[in-house]
Amino acid sequence: MKQRLIAVAVASALFGLAGCQTVPDDSAVLSEARAAVAKAEQNPNVSKYSASELDRAQNLLSNAESAAEEKGATDETTAHYAYLATQTARIAEQRANQQLATARIKAGETERQQILLTARESEADRALADARTAQAEAERARNEALNAQSQMAQSQAESQRLAAQLEELQASQTSRGIVLTLDDVLFDTGKAELKSGSQRALDQIASFLNENPERKVQIEGFTDSQGSDEFNQQLSQNRADAVATAIIRRGIAADRVRALGYGEEFPVASNTSPGSRQLNRRVEIIVSNDDSAIPGRTAQGGQ
Amino acid sequence: MITVNGIRNASWCVIAFGIVACASAPMPVDKLAVAKSSVERAEQAQAAQFAQVELNSARNKLAAAQAAADDRDGAVAARLADQADVDAQLAEATARAKQQEQLVAEMDKSLQDLRNESLRRQ
Repeated sequence: MKQRLIAVAVASALFGLAGCQTVPDDSAVLSEARAAVAKAEQNPNVSKYSASELDRAQNLLSNAESAAEEKGATDETTAHYAYLATQTARIAEQRANQQLATARIKAGETERQQILLTARESEADRALADARTAQAEAERARNEALNAQSQMAQSQAESQRLAAQLEELQASQTSRGIVLTLDDVLFDTGKAELKSGSQRALDQIASFLNENPERKVQIEGFTDSQGSDEFNQQLSQNRADAVATAIIRRGIAADRVRALGYGEEFPVASNTSPGSRQLNRRVEIIVSNDDSAIPGRTAQGGQ
Repeated sequence: MITVNGIRNASWCVIAFGIVACASAPMPVDKLAVAKSSVERAEQAQAAQFAQVELNSARNKLAAAQAAADDRDGAVAARLADQADVDAQLAEATARAKQQEQLVAEMDKSLQDLRNESLRRQ
């Protein structure tokens, strides 16, 4: 019983009723209702998500307006409908808020899926790109290996060819370069003109120099010990020059060819017998091992 | 022509009408039930946490409506029940909206983290 009395008192306070008496001036409730409904009407999400609640609030407000016209703005029926209109307009707004949030969650989930999908795709793209890079790398390595192989084969063939040429010229490989000795049968005694027998050897040297344009050639002339030193020196120089001229005539640039006369110097045999003297009468052709200059002879020996 | 008899009859009529009128303000049993179930739905929607003011208003009005009904004041009971009902509905809608908005905020944050992470990995 006591509880019930309290409840009635609370209700009176909230409702603005004092028993069955008319309510005090309550037009504020009506203006509040108008404002609440207008606010809901202006919210685009309300018309989108909670149009039926807005519709109810508008009906309740028009009930309140009718009651106000019939019974006055302060009538309890007016206040009642105004209150219901206010609360219903707020309900419309809250439902719209809830629907909007739900829509955003849905959109967010879609975006999350999209991000994950994009991440997976770009991971797959990366993996594919990696695989392609690896494939290209492997291809390149294979080509390199093939190139190296063919280069090796080429240089092997080259050195075999070189060896064959040297053998044909009866040349020998020394630290100064490739040395080929032309003997004195290519010249008449005391003369510096090349006889025709030397053509083949000179052709081969010229073609070798043509094929190896970085190499240089040095021609050294020698005599035996018979005759004067001056004569022998001059003869050896003339013979070296003759060979140099013959090589230059075969298309080799003059700056790659150098001729030196050593006279009786650097004998390869004793000069005591005709046979040994013949060995000393010679022209040596030295082809450099690379593009460096051919070291000259110093004192005895040197080959 | 008014007779004493007529006046007596009219009086009876007025008394009878008054009794009928009093008896014809029925107790709003349906409205009370509707308001009560709205309050329960609001409570289930965690309105006590998210829309306390609205829920308290609904509870108080429901109790007042019940009290008015017990006092045989049907008109007041009906109004209070209607108001308790809209208050409870507003409490429920507010609570649901706030909870959903919390979810949105959490989702926004986790989405932002995800975007940042996917940017970092690119």
